[in-house]
Amino acid sequence: MEPTDSLQYQQFMERINRGDRIEAEDWMPDDYRQQLIRLISMHGISEIMGALPEKEWVPKAPTLFRKLAIMAKVQDEMGHGQLLIRVAEDLMAPLGKNREDLMEDLFTGRLKFHNVFHMATPTWADAGVIGWLVDGAAIITQGMSLSCSYGPYARALARIVEEEGFHIQHGESICMELAEGTPVQRQMLQESLERWWPALLMFFGPPEGNQLSTHQQKNLDYKIRSKTNEELRQKFLTKYVPRIRSLGLVIPDPTLSQDPVTKVWQYAQPDWTLFRQIVNNQGPRSQARLGLRQMSYQEGQWVRRVLAMTTPAAV
Amino acid sequence: MSDAISFDVYEVFVQLEPMSAHQHQFNVLASSPEMALELGYENFCRRTGAVSLWVVKRDAIHKWTQDNFSGKERLAKTYRTTEDYKYLKDKWRHYRENPMTQEGPRNGRTAD
Repeated sequence: MEPTDSLQYQQFMERINRGDRIEAEDWMPDDYRQQLIRLISMHGISEIMGALPEKEWVPKAPTLFRKLAIMAKVQDEMGHGQLLIRVAEDLMAPLGKNREDLMEDLFTGRLKFHNVFHMATPTWADAGVIGWLVDGAAIITQGMSLSCSYGPYARALARIVEEEGFHIQHGESICMELAEGTPVQRQMLQESLERWWPALLMFFGPPEGNQLSTHQQKNLDYKIRSKTNEELRQKFLTKYVPRIRSLGLVIPDPTLSQDPVTKVWQYAQPDWTLFRQIVNNQGPRSQARLGLRQMSYQEGQWVRRVLAMTTPAAV
Repeated sequence: MSDAISFDVYEVFVQLEPMSAHQHQFNVLASSPEMALELGYENFCRRTGAVSLWVVKRDAIHKWTQDNFSGKERLAKTYRTTEDYKYLKDKWRHYRENPMTQEGPRNGRTAD
């Protein structure tokens, strides 16, 4: 690793501090590159794994309109994965790695994907809650990352955030319809909220307390991120608790309250031990989804080989 | 044959309207220009449509970046723009109201 007193490092930090965007071929410290690879490959693979829970509802969507809309959303998520994996690949290229290595890392468990995409989606309300609240949570994180010091990631996010706007309204529309529906439909939505609430709190990662992890401190110093997990979670609560309640839904946490002066939310901590199990592929649907991903990767291998043998046309 | 599969990176440019410029979108990984065009269309035109789509192999692009521009910072070159000619508008208004005679301005020149 470069000594932090080297001229190159100091010039790099000057660029970061004056708000420059760093590009793929610019000089960057190894740990900046590593932090980005870690973050962006996890984000990219989560988009792809995140399409799977919703994909389960494509054949079972209640109307043709809903089926077309959820298919479009699944396609968007795969597209986001492609964009982000390209960003990660350019960062990994000097290390001699590419997307095949990412897929291998996913299958061996070295590369994690977001906790929410390990969860089951037993009812149509889950498809709605994923769009409304999971994508709602994601857009809070991604909105922050638009100011990321790494240009290609920020530019990919600008496209992604634009499409997430459609996803959220798609989810809101499903949830709104259920909330305005029969007692059975309302019950289905309430149960889905109860199923997803702990996962939504976990989405932002463990609260830091007064101690930032080394990774987080680095990410803040390098302006890869600008807010802590807890700041993002507080933002989510402020935005969504009133909306959830306005649909007459009950959040499964009797201790949830907002300090009227400081505006800080108090909430029951989710089970962080369970969180670690989930992200280590021990969640309810982890193995099934990894299995599906692995099978489709292996079954597509011959296609990629054939494509790689294609003689490029004259350009 | 090696198992490693090597595709190329293509940068994608989309023209949305006949009078707009092709705008760089992002890049895709593809085995051929045809595949890059398909991926480019799916990824960047599926909502907006397009009138034209270009893909360019990344290594065919020659470029300058920040470092190349040092020493080339722009001086204030108002003579390249309309900045230096703003006074003309007032002159035209003045002479619309007080046309010159064949001898020139009636009361001498207007103030600059």
